[in-house]
Amino acid sequence: MSDLKENLKAQIIEQLNLEDLTPADIRDDAPLFGDQGLGLDSIDALEFIVLLDSNYGIKISDPNEGKEIFQSVNTLADYISKHQ
Amino acid sequence: MYFIQHIESITHQDSFQKENIWDELKPLTAENQLISPDYKNYIPVAALRRLSTILRMGITASKACQEKVPNEFDSISVGTALGCLTDTEKFLVTINTVSGDVLSPTAFIQSTHNTISGQISLDLKNHAYNMTHTQNALSFEVALKDGLLCIDEGKKSVLVGAADEAIPFLERLRGSLILTHLPFTSGATFAVLSGEKGNSIAFVQACEVYFSTKSQETLVTLINQFLDANNCSSGDLDLILEARSDFRFLAKNHISFTDYTGFYQSASAFALHMANDWLIGNTDDKRILIVNNLESNKLGLTLINRNEVEA
Repeated sequence: MSDLKENLKAQIIEQLNLEDLTPADIRDDAPLFGDQGLGLDSIDALEFIVLLDSNYGIKISDPNEGKEIFQSVNTLADYISKHQ
Repeated sequence: MYFIQHIESITHQDSFQKENIWDELKPLTAENQLISPDYKNYIPVAALRRLSTILRMGITASKACQEKVPNEFDSISVGTALGCLTDTEKFLVTINTVSGDVLSPTAFIQSTHNTISGQISLDLKNHAYNMTHTQNALSFEVALKDGLLCIDEGKKSVLVGAADEAIPFLERLRGSLILTHLPFTSGATFAVLSGEKGNSIAFVQACEVYFSTKSQETLVTLINQFLDANNCSSGDLDLILEARSDFRFLAKNHISFTDYTGFYQSASAFALHMANDWLIGNTDDKRILIVNNLESNKLGLTLINRNEVEA
């Protein structure tokens, strides 16, 4: 699981062009969206859907699911491990 | 008259936020890279991460212009020949290579030509008239004419500019894009024009574009007709800034502006900056003609005068 989280962090940085961040800067439980966390926005949510599809073969058919799945690296990794 | 209130360029020259760009101008070589300012001073970091070079240049040059004039722009007219090439290439490559059913939205959203003017408006929170012009090597001149028409309509402060960016793939199109061996370069120039003199040094007297031109003789005739229509002749010109070197005989001073810009199709926008700053530094000179013959079958003519000259 920890390998998955580290991979996810690297992929998030690459996919979202978070040039100034390293994987170590992203806490597993930090909110990805909103002012408290990475400050990602709705376009980034679409990028997450692409990331899950292209890297893990997971399709999210209902975008409303994203709110729960994309809360943090922990929730993302949990969803991937259950659906891969 | 259309007075040049302020002008900014981001190019392969050290041209951004300079009192006079001629202080630093040098003929370019293929080794000269784009000289980028610190974009973080103009664009929020969260937005910056998504923006390609052409968008960073356009937004930053526009914001630097806005900071120098008191009023919001009443119109924004942008010329670009090839538009947002980085994102276009990224999007097309993704279509061809990604096996999944969904594509990254960012490159698609930002691949259209009007992303530049749109992003400028968004960043400036400007809701005024906003237009993008794509006419190959005459894209800047058409945008400029649009801006001049906006002033004729009564708009007080208009932003006109042009931007293009180079990507490595362009080398594969060299034969169909240019005839010379100029290096492919990137650049953005934005100018604030107004019908009021303000603190300006020079004004645009006229701009004209000609499509489907043919022989050299035709071009000379068109130039003379243009000058005649604006109450001057080639003998009145202190400098010609030309994309090529075909009309050295027309004025006492001649400079090929592409020696300083390299090749991007809206480089004539930088020639406007060169003309304005030439008049700042050469106080005896009064009239400059920009001849944009970058493409062999098209001609753009822009006449720049020192403010004392009667239009």
